[in-house]
Amino acid sequence: MATTAQITITSPDLMPGSALNITANTTLTKAGVTADLDQKLSGVVKVTVGGPTEHRLGPLATEMAGDAHDIASYLYVHNKTTEDATYYVDFGIHETMIGRLYAGDWMFIPWNASDDNAELEIQAIGGTNIIEYCLFNSDVILPTAAA
Amino acid sequence: MATINASATISSDIASYPVTISGAMTMTKSANPSVGLEETTGLRTKKFTTTTAAVIVEHDELTDDKAHKVYIRNASGSRANFFYVAYNASAAAAGTAETIGKLYGGDWMLMPYNGNVNITVASSTATETQMLEYMVFADGIVAAKG
Repeated sequence: MATTAQITITSPDLMPGSALNITANTTLTKAGVTADLDQKLSGVVKVTVGGPTEHRLGPLATEMAGDAHDIASYLYVHNKTTEDATYYVDFGIHETMIGRLYAGDWMFIPWNASDDNAELEIQAIGGTNIIEYCLFNSDVILPTAAA
Repeated sequence: MATINASATISSDIASYPVTISGAMTMTKSANPSVGLEETTGLRTKKFTTTTAAVIVEHDELTDDKAHKVYIRNASGSRANFFYVAYNASAAAAGTAETIGKLYGGDWMLMPYNGNVNITVASSTATETQMLEYMVFADGIVAAKG
């Protein structure tokens, strides 16, 4: 099994006289080794203002195998909203907002679930945002079912 | 106004059906999403030989609460080594608040950034040299004070 990620960033006019052309490829693996990741979870969700204020994407940081922290996982998020270009979601880790993902924007980051509170969160700013996401990992476990 | 396009393709055979994710965007300003970003700190390359945390993006050089984007790549080849990447004033480690994740050799990331707190990294190894590439696509740069 293999999971690969490629990025291309181009701009003909950001830096006059020097066209920008960045390309990078990587094969995503388990922490510190060359073994492939073997789990993923993904979805498409509508995130609206105030309902609730902050939404959790993916698992709780405590839902890792053996409560494992400092894992190797990778998160892709795409704001697929087309209704209004001014809509965005604030993206953060445990209520600390890091950046704004505007309508049409995507992001790709590693996530290590650094502690019990390090969950991935988004908050809609303006209207309803349609969010597509996928988390590639090897450590997420399912919550225990009620007896 | 500049035009900056970014695309990602993620492919996986983890599931019994093939997964291919394609994302494409044009980086635009927060105040006017129809206008492209037009400032950058440039593409930088930095060699790390210690595990001491270092700030690679100083938030006070950027306008707060904007639609900046940060590209970071571990340009080293070893999957045994990594950089911690954190949204933190000065620290990046396993238990540090707002540590985002670990960028292993060859890995890249592109994230939105509001410009309110530094981006800090720390190499996992002092015995092997690691190289980091990074670039800020800015929605407002504050001119450096003399």
